[in-house]
Amino acid sequence: MFLDFFIFELRREGISIGMQDVLTFYRGLSRGLVANLDELYLYARLCFIRYPRDNDLYDRIFLRYFQGIDIPAVAEDDLALLETKQFRQWLKQAIEEHRFEIHPHFMPLEELMKKFWQTVREQMEAHHGGAKWVGTGGKSPFGHSGSSRGGVRVFGGARNFSAMKVAGERRYVNYSEDKSLRHDTMRAALAQLKHLKPEGAESILDIDESIRKSALSGGEIELVFKRELRDKLDVLLFIDNGGSSMLPYVSQTRQLFSKMKRELKSLRVFYFHNTIYSYVFRDPARTQPYSLQKLLKEKDDIRVFIIGDANMAPSELLSAYGNINLGEEETESSLYWLERIRERFRHTVWLNPMRRDMWPSASMTLRRIAEIFPMEEMTLGGIRRAVERLNRS
Amino acid sequence: MNSPVPEFQSTGRYYLSAELAAIVNMAIKMEKPLLLTGEPGTGKTQLAFEIAKSFGLPMEILRAKSTFKGEEACYVQDTVLRLNDARFGVGDSGRDVQNFFDYIIWGPIGRAFLLDKKVVLLLDEIDKTESDVQDNLLDVLEDCQFTIRETNTVVKAKHRPIIIITSNAKRELSDPFLRRCFCHHIAFPTPEEMREIVRLHLPDTDPGLVQSAMDVFYELRRRGYEKAPATSELLAYIEALKHAGVTELDIHNLPFPGILLKRTEDLLAYRKSAHR
Repeated sequence: MFLDFFIFELRREGISIGMQDVLTFYRGLSRGLVANLDELYLYARLCFIRYPRDNDLYDRIFLRYFQGIDIPAVAEDDLALLETKQFRQWLKQAIEEHRFEIHPHFMPLEELMKKFWQTVREQMEAHHGGAKWVGTGGKSPFGHSGSSRGGVRVFGGARNFSAMKVAGERRYVNYSEDKSLRHDTMRAALAQLKHLKPEGAESILDIDESIRKSALSGGEIELVFKRELRDKLDVLLFIDNGGSSMLPYVSQTRQLFSKMKRELKSLRVFYFHNTIYSYVFRDPARTQPYSLQKLLKEKDDIRVFIIGDANMAPSELLSAYGNINLGEEETESSLYWLERIRERFRHTVWLNPMRRDMWPSASMTLRRIAEIFPMEEMTLGGIRRAVERLNRS
Repeated sequence: MNSPVPEFQSTGRYYLSAELAAIVNMAIKMEKPLLLTGEPGTGKTQLAFEIAKSFGLPMEILRAKSTFKGEEACYVQDTVLRLNDARFGVGDSGRDVQNFFDYIIWGPIGRAFLLDKKVVLLLDEIDKTESDVQDNLLDVLEDCQFTIRETNTVVKAKHRPIIIITSNAKRELSDPFLRRCFCHHIAFPTPEEMREIVRLHLPDTDPGLVQSAMDVFYELRRRGYEKAPATSELLAYIEALKHAGVTELDIHNLPFPGILLKRTEDLLAYRKSAHR
C-alpha cells in the first residue's frame, strides 16, 4: 500500500506513530473521510502529528512524498540554507545550466538565497495549478488518474483548502525543534521549563482526619485542613552577559529568562563574564558581587541553569589567577568553582546558545565544561532535553 | 455508524477557515476529542461555542485552574453536608445519609455524560492543570466514561459528546493524553484571514483604515514585544480609531498605543523606539 510507505516515511524521520494511530487512520479512510490529497494531508496530520514542533517536518515530508518537492529544513531568511544538500544541488545544477548572468561566486548571498526560494515556489506553483501530480515516481495514487482535484468529494468541508498551499506556506517552521529561540517559540520553551517537577503544599479539607476528629469529640463536627501540593521550585540562573562573544545571544537569553521570571516565583538570576569564579553578580552591569560560597550552602535540590557559550581563552578556565577582569584576581581556577557548583547541586544543566554543530570548532574550554555539566544547545529541543535531564538527575 | 452527521459550518461573525472546518468535521466523524493549541486570540475557545451554535446543541464547559484536581470535573461528594446531616439529621430534605448519591454534585463532565442529549463539552485551557489531572481524564477521552471511586460505579456517556479541548501551551500535555486526541495547532491568522475577521466583526469600516491599522498591528507583532497584540486588541483598536475619527496612522506616533500594547515595559519600549 502506498500509504503504508508514507507512514513509514514519517516514522523514519522521527515522528512517533503507534499502532493505534495507524488503525485510527485506516478506520477514517474506510469511513470515507479522505476523498482527495488535500483531505489526506489534513487527516493524516490529525492522526499522526501531536506536537506543533513536528508540523514543519510533516509539511516537508508530505511535499516530498506526494509532490516530489524536497524543501530544506530551514526558514526562508536562515543562512543555514547554504549548508543544505538541496541548496548545493540546486546551485550545482544552475551553474551547469548557465542560469546565472554572473558567476554565483560574485553574487551576494541574500540574492542567491532569494533565487533558490523563488525556484522552490515556482516549482510548487507548477504543481499546484497543474492538472497532474508529477515527480512522485508513480507512488502517488492520485498520479495515475491525472486529476484528483475536483474529483468526487465525500464531504464538502475542504472547500477552498489546498494542502499544497498550506504545506508550502510553512507556517510551522518556527516551531521546529532545531530552530533557535524566537519570540513565537518562547512559549513552547517555557512550557518545557514548566515540566520541572513540582513539590510542596497548600490547604484543603482533610476528610479522613475530620471524620476521625469528629468521632473523637463525640460526633461534634470538627473540620481539619491540610496542605495541598503546589509548585515550589527553586531555580538559579547564571547568565554570561559579558564579552562580545555572547553579544548576539544576550537579547535571546534575556527574553527567555524575563518570561521565566514571571512563571516561576522562586527564580534568582546572577551574571558572570565568560566563566564563574568565587563570586557572581546580582546586576547585569556586574557591580554587585555575590559570594558563590554563600550560594553553595543553599539547598542542594535547587535547579541550576547556566547559560553561556563556554567559549574563552583556556587560561581563564584552567589557571589560578585566570580571571581577566581587573582587580578580581582569584587564587582558585574557574574550573574549581564550576566543579563545586556541580557537586553541590544535583540538578544542573548548561545551555549553550551556540549551535551544536559549531561546538567542535569552538575553544577547548567548551569541551572541558561539557565534561562537568550536561550541555545542551539553546533551542526548543535542547531545552526539552535539558529539562528531561533535570528531572532525571 | 449513526445517521449521517450534518456538516459543521460557521454562523455569523466567527471566521472559520476551510482548513479548520474540515478538521472539526473529521474529528466529529471519528468521534475523537479535538485538542486545539495556538496563541491567544486564534479563536480556540470560540470554536466550541460555534460548533454548539451550528448544531444547536447545549454546552458544558470546564474551565481548568492550576489548583484543579480532575475529579471535580466529573463529580464531587458534598462531604460537609453529609457530615452535617449525619450529626444533625436530614430534616425534611429527603436525603438519605446512607445513600452516597444523595450527596453527589456533578461536574461539567458528569452533567455532559448524564444528559439525554448530545452536548458539546469544552475543556478550556487544560494545560493549566497538573499532569495527574490529565491522567484522570484519559478514560473520559477514550471511552467517554469515568468511575465514581467511592462506590466503584462506572458512569458512561448516554450520548458521546463532541469534546473540544483548548491549550495555551503553558505547559506541555502528557503523551497519553495527546494520543487520545486529534491535535491541531491553529496558526496565527495571515493578513488575508485577518482582513476577513475584521470584516465580519466591523462590517462598515473604511478599508483604508483597516489596512493601515493592520500594517501597524503586524509591524508591532514583528517587533517581538513581550505580549504581542492579538486579534481582540486589533478589533478594539480599529473601533477606537473609528470613534476618534482617525483616518491616518503613523507608526512612530500612534494614538492610543495602550490598546495594542498592554504591558508597561512594552509601552515604554515602543515610546523609546518612536522618539528616536
